[in-house]
Amino acid sequence: MTASAMIEALDVHKRFGNVTALNGVSLSVARGQVVCIIGPSGSGKSTLLRCMHFLDEPTQGVIRLDGKRVGYLERDNKSPRRMRGSQLAAIRAQIGMVFQLFYLWPHMTAFENVILGLRDVRGLPRAEALRLGREFMHKVDLDDKLEAYPEHLSGGQRQRVAIARALAMQPKVMLFDEPTSALDPELVGEVLRVIEKIASEGITMVIATHEMSFARKVADVVVFMDQGQIVETGSPVGIFDAPQSERLQRFLDKVSA
Amino acid sequence: MDLDFSIVWNYVPVLLKAAGVTIILTVLSQSIGTVAGLFLALGRVSRFKVLRVAVWMYVWIFRGTPVLLHLFFIYYAAPLFGVTLEAFPAAVIAFSLSSAAYNCEIIRSGLQAVHRGQVEAAQAIGLTYPKIIRRIVLPQAMRIVIPPYMSNFITATKNSSLASVITVQELMLTAQLIYNSTYRAIEILTAAGVIYLILTTCLTGIQLYLEHRTAWELRGLSAGKRRRLELNAPGKRMGDQA
Repeated sequence: MTASAMIEALDVHKRFGNVTALNGVSLSVARGQVVCIIGPSGSGKSTLLRCMHFLDEPTQGVIRLDGKRVGYLERDNKSPRRMRGSQLAAIRAQIGMVFQLFYLWPHMTAFENVILGLRDVRGLPRAEALRLGREFMHKVDLDDKLEAYPEHLSGGQRQRVAIARALAMQPKVMLFDEPTSALDPELVGEVLRVIEKIASEGITMVIATHEMSFARKVADVVVFMDQGQIVETGSPVGIFDAPQSERLQRFLDKVSA
Repeated sequence: MDLDFSIVWNYVPVLLKAAGVTIILTVLSQSIGTVAGLFLALGRVSRFKVLRVAVWMYVWIFRGTPVLLHLFFIYYAAPLFGVTLEAFPAAVIAFSLSSAAYNCEIIRSGLQAVHRGQVEAAQAIGLTYPKIIRRIVLPQAMRIVIPPYMSNFITATKNSSLASVITVQELMLTAQLIYNSTYRAIEILTAAGVIYLILTTCLTGIQLYLEHRTAWELRGLSAGKRRRLELNAPGKRMGDQA
């Protein structure tokens, strides 16, 4: 794998009981690159992202963030040791995650959702946290919703708050796990526009998505997954206009139908 | 049968003092039982099996045997270990042990009712376990826990009368002592009943207050109204109290 990879997965396997969700996946994402993962439901897109964040621990394989192993401490001449909670938390703070179902904390306002990590993880002084929090709420066009509770926001607004919450940590990588799949069709656009804007700012991103036209527009690299494996990798033009494998062709036929 | 409730007035100070004992006994043992119950609940959902099993055993024993038995047991067993316990501390210990077992189960159900995604979102921004519990899980669990917790508190208030059997001079024993010498059982028991009712009504009030405090969507509504009212003063609107 390339030395300049910002985040990479090396031969990652994940089994849940006797179900194999990932069967030897390797993916390397260069600094500033935007990778979109497409593929049918159950193909392992989400599991791969969750493994990259160590929310699901890989059964086998290695995740590296900016060269540093996620979840394990590497030691000279000794086998790697599992990270302690605080060590894992420290590296997780550098990986942003946006979930399909938002998972905003309902007992806090939108603004509190965004600044919690700034205060409690990054330890910023109050004034600085408030300033940054406003900045990121502005970035997702929610200046007027700072004090709203998640309950009173639309799905699209909730997901934008969730993006601001992850982004405010100023992570090295942003992972998006089907960020628009739970949204009403008319709310998808506002979320995709925000993600597109962030992508244009040069943040490294991995996005699992069912939005093909979005993937075509925003991705540097598109990865097609099926049955726990990466079947095909290429440029958007290559993947969408000249699919090599039969499985990808069938998938594209189905989603465009 | 003639009733003479005027006799109650002579004993109001004594009854109130005894009610004070009931309150102190209940609040003290519930406080200890709440803190202990919280830690037991965390042990119950811990990833360490030894801890889970140990807590399960504790709850199994203390929820599965009568509080009355605990009371006698601690009161009579203490001297065997070379300690002489007064009735009151013995009662506090017995009620705390039992309260811890019940509160453990109540709090555990609250912790487990918080959606896994809530914790994952907190892990995702790099919060550590103690902070996830304190900032994310407990505030949400609290809301779920308040009704059963307060029910248990009310039950404990009434059950504190059991301490009378080991001579703690709480409200029930005091009432008995009074009517044993005055032969005015109905009048004194009625008075004691009224006092219990006042205590439990206060607890119901506290429950309503706590439920209101943790209803964040209501808080959200009032914030919305506030925002509309303050639209003309945008400088000091947002997040200053966040």
